[in-house]
Amino acid sequence: MPTPTDTVSSSETEVKTDAPSEGVEEPVKQGRGKAVKYAIIKCIDFTGLTFLTPIVRLCTGEEVDKQLKKIGQYIVVPALAIVVFLLTWSWIAPKHKTKSGEVPTPTVVWDAAQNIWTFHEREGFKEAAYNLDNPRREAFLQAVDKRIAVLKPVEQQVNAVVEQVRLDSESAVAREVDPIVKEHEELKAKFAADAAVREKTLADKAKLLDATDEQARAEYFAAVREHLDQSEVEEEELSLLLAEADEIRRGSNSELKAALATQTKVAEEMQYLRKMKDLLSRANRNVRLASAEDQLRLQEATFLEKTSPEDRYLQARGIASSQQRIDRMAEAEYAKPWTLPMQVYRSVACVFCGFLLGTIIAVPIGVLCGLSSTFMAAMTPFIALFKPVSPIVWLPIALIVVGGFIPDPDKHWLITLLAELPLIGWFKINPAFMACAITVALCSLWATMVNTAFGVASIDKDHLNVAAVLRLGFWDRLTKIIIPSALPLIFAGMRISLGVGWMVLIAAELLSSSEGIGKYVWDQFNNGGSDSFAKMIVVVFVVGFVGLILDRIMIVFQRLVSFDESPSVV
Amino acid sequence: MSFLEIDNVCLGYGPPSHRYEVLENTNLSVEENEFIAIIGFSGSGKSTVISLLAGLVSPDQGEIRLKGKTAHEPGPDRGVVFQNYSLLPWLSVYGNIDLAVRQVFPEMPRSEKRDYIQRYIDLVSLTNSEWKKPHELSGGMRQRLSLARTLSMQPEVLLLDEPLSALDALTRAVLQDEIIRIWEEDRRTVVMVTNDVDEAVLMADRIVALTPGPKATLGRSFPVELSRPRDRATLNFNPEFKQLRNEVTNYLMTINQEAKELRVSDELVLPDIQPIEFSAA
Repeated sequence: MPTPTDTVSSSETEVKTDAPSEGVEEPVKQGRGKAVKYAIIKCIDFTGLTFLTPIVRLCTGEEVDKQLKKIGQYIVVPALAIVVFLLTWSWIAPKHKTKSGEVPTPTVVWDAAQNIWTFHEREGFKEAAYNLDNPRREAFLQAVDKRIAVLKPVEQQVNAVVEQVRLDSESAVAREVDPIVKEHEELKAKFAADAAVREKTLADKAKLLDATDEQARAEYFAAVREHLDQSEVEEEELSLLLAEADEIRRGSNSELKAALATQTKVAEEMQYLRKMKDLLSRANRNVRLASAEDQLRLQEATFLEKTSPEDRYLQARGIASSQQRIDRMAEAEYAKPWTLPMQVYRSVACVFCGFLLGTIIAVPIGVLCGLSSTFMAAMTPFIALFKPVSPIVWLPIALIVVGGFIPDPDKHWLITLLAELPLIGWFKINPAFMACAITVALCSLWATMVNTAFGVASIDKDHLNVAAVLRLGFWDRLTKIIIPSALPLIFAGMRISLGVGWMVLIAAELLSSSEGIGKYVWDQFNNGGSDSFAKMIVVVFVVGFVGLILDRIMIVFQRLVSFDESPSVV
Repeated sequence: MSFLEIDNVCLGYGPPSHRYEVLENTNLSVEENEFIAIIGFSGSGKSTVISLLAGLVSPDQGEIRLKGKTAHEPGPDRGVVFQNYSLLPWLSVYGNIDLAVRQVFPEMPRSEKRDYIQRYIDLVSLTNSEWKKPHELSGGMRQRLSLARTLSMQPEVLLLDEPLSALDALTRAVLQDEIIRIWEEDRRTVVMVTNDVDEAVLMADRIVALTPGPKATLGRSFPVELSRPRDRATLNFNPEFKQLRNEVTNYLMTINQEAKELRVSDELVLPDIQPIEFSAA
């Protein structure tokens, strides 16, 4: 990690070497360079990535000291903060043990992210392999076989290593645990003996006890209690020893962990290769089609040989069902599971659907609210009442309502239509998707509605005067004066809406099991694999990153419709 | 019958319990192609007079008449140049004028409209700024644009509501000359509101004073008989100019004084007490 002073000195030398060459250049070129620079800076400003501005300025050697200071402030300091965060995280995380294992450290999370990506890529390859046609199929099959041949000894080796490490670690643990176990047993025996002695004395005492003497009675009770207390203490001691032994047994052995990780990785790849081999040979669509067609030809040949009507009919039935099977096979797709990147696409699509729906509802109502205080008064109770309702409440309602419209999703015309559309068909839109989108719309439309109403209501009096002097009709006044003037606020509201919608969507998907990021988290939470916890943390960053991108997109739109120079958005 | 008339107009704001009467029994008659300057103190209701003439507010009593017809609705026959420009910030220079032209001359063919708009842009010396947005223009340029937009509607009456008071002295002088130049090219009826006596004397045919509010009314009128074109450099030494300026100023001071005396003092009488010093004790 370079310290701030490091960057300063290195950049300074760069600038010094740049400076003289710039002076030699012809002024025309410099002028053009300047135009390019200002265009870049304007773009940066437009997208709200202002922390990049000092770098651009520094590259052109403008006010070096000032730019370096800004870089230090807006790039180096945040970078340092991130480093501090990562260090704190990796320090704190292993301290907390949960049912799903230790809290993952950044490195574990990074590995999980890579695993997610590998899985996604491999599923893509598998799908391609399934659809592959002959000459290339053979070539790929050979490549896969070669790789399996390479991997097989590696697998055996790794397994052997793991076995060895496990034995070593077990013996190491045993070396540590054995004395404790021994001590435990000895102590247990000793305590049992002690207890027996104590009990015997007490029994003897009981014989001699004068039951009528109150003091003697009390003393005897006290003695018995003392005996019980003593037994409890001893038991506690024993269980402590056991706990100690368990702790050592459970104790993490980093060597074993690493060996196991390698084993898992190799095993996963082996499994993938075997599946690939299968998909490239036996399970390949074209191979299956070819064999089915062979069979059909055979059946047809047999048909000609048949003479009796019954046999002919039976044979014809067989042929017909073979033909049906071939038709189905030709249409069948590889059953690709949803991977996280695919689920991200679907979530983004869903949030945009909901957001568009919300905007379509919110903007006209907002405009009417802004135009007429009577309409506003009529709407206020609804806005006030429905705005705080949680997505968790809307979702089941939306599911039921959508379910009412689409009782049988597989046969409903809308679902089949959407599934057949290019691009949109990929998302496999189903009632759960629609319910999620509706929930997003219901939760996110309020910000847009309120902002639109405010924007329309707070239109500059001067602009209305202009409209009055020009005698603009209602429609012209709306489209030429009111809406343009309210647009920046409308977009500010839409930006908030999209942010809210994105947060709501994840929860909605989690609840409705609609494929998407939320569903992914829920699956990870439920399947409890060794890296599920880490994968959930990967999702945290994915969700944050996508949300950030959505926000930036809205900022650009907001800037495009803003007419004042005011830096209204950060 | 005059071209434009304010006939016994009263106007007030607020509920009956604490009503603020802005104008009372105000009368004005403007001849065709006359340049009238209404001068008065700030807060006396000058902008209200312009709003009345423009039809943006209706009088409580009395009537506004243009060419003998009641004119209580706004319309493109009376073009207003507002004090704070009132440009539409999301439209360019061209777009702002285009909006007005499209509305007033909807039949104008496309090619003709381009030339027409360009003519007004050139008229106010905004050539080469056609595609700039208002926020990229200086205050003076914005007011020129506002003027061009109003002129492009070819109004019969031009109403100027303190058009220059938001500008610095130098820009102001330039724009004064410009307005006079444009007016002389194409004489129209102009009613300008101002708080600057020099400006009024320099530009107007007739100056009408507005008495201080509340219950303001249009007072004495001073015809300006200085010959045109008036040159601002030599005008300062013109005895007629000096005399008129003093006359107007004195009149304004007098009515202001009278108004102050008439006004009921609503100052609180404070008790005559002194703070006691505790620290010494």
